[in-house]
Amino acid sequence: GDALLPAPQSISILSTNMKHFLTWSPVIVQGATVRYSVEFQGEYEREYANGSWIPISECSLTTATICNLTEDISASVAYKLRVRAELGATRSPWGTTKGFFNRAMTSLTPPQLRAVADGHHLLVELADMGPSFQFRVLYWRKGQESRVQQKVLKEVSSVVHLDTMEAGAEYCVKAQTHVQAINRSSSFSPTQCVRAQGDPSMWL
Amino acid sequence: TAGVKIFHFGACRVPMSMTEIRAGFTAIKANIQSRDPIRTLSILSHPHSLHKVKSSDRCCITYQLFTFYVDKVFKHCRTEDSFVNRKISSIANSFLSTRRKLGQCREQNNCMCGEESTEKFKQILANYEGLNVTSAAMKSLGELDILLDWME
Repeated sequence: GDALLPAPQSISILSTNMKHFLTWSPVIVQGATVRYSVEFQGEYEREYANGSWIPISECSLTTATICNLTEDISASVAYKLRVRAELGATRSPWGTTKGFFNRAMTSLTPPQLRAVADGHHLLVELADMGPSFQFRVLYWRKGQESRVQQKVLKEVSSVVHLDTMEAGAEYCVKAQTHVQAINRSSSFSPTQCVRAQGDPSMWL
Repeated sequence: TAGVKIFHFGACRVPMSMTEIRAGFTAIKANIQSRDPIRTLSILSHPHSLHKVKSSDRCCITYQLFTFYVDKVFKHCRTEDSFVNRKISSIANSFLSTRRKLGQCREQNNCMCGEESTEKFKQILANYEGLNVTSAAMKSLGELDILLDWME
């Protein structure tokens, strides 16, 4: 009875900022609810465990056409994924990803940041991106681009103090993420500049 | 952050996602240790603790231990519990990735196998072979934190 149900098609992995998802096209059977089951295979299973596959329980008999792999793709080795359709006792053949997926292939986007002038204090707000991420923040006084300073943040607290600014001066900030587990960094965020409170002439 | 620890063996640097491995192990430790009826015996610590290994032998015995877990232990730890199997897979694939880097160190001759580490590893294999394979594998997996603590 398996041959009646076609294997899911257009199987692909979407991976951004160390969050990995498997997606596929739905298998359409008029008037019926088709369900899907997903399994993964790491390099260890291929090389040392007779090519065994491991089911992902959250994506077993699911009606969704997407499955979160993040918890299971947790080593920097080559993984394969497969999904099949199920309708009652009928099961389709497995549809398997073409090639391998390694989490080092994830796409890294620049961090979301907001520079804040709090009186004379230059602060930066960074969006938390999860435990895998560190941030490299560059900041400088506008016009003094040769004297860029850097702060590496291993853990993100919502607001970080960068510097004390001179009255009325403008300061600029940009940042990138770094993921140690795959030893890669994102590109830099757009630069943001803010002006310190106060009148610059006060300092003359 | 998902702490990647850098282990230095001579000029060799081996990064390892220690936090991820420990998180995976902690999630299944109680389950695994409940499957190990023989609490009086140890695979890794009998008769001597890993801590007695000389630092010059660390690289070699670390590579041997990772090979031991990859080749002998993980494959015999399959359970009826899907969650446990997924965490074991996560640890096994992380060990495989780290063992590969350790192997590169070994090739660059940064891993000298002294008499002490050779003797210690023989003892571990003897402890392992003294039990039936499933019990030995489950006990070894249950002792993973002993290895991780010693490494850190």
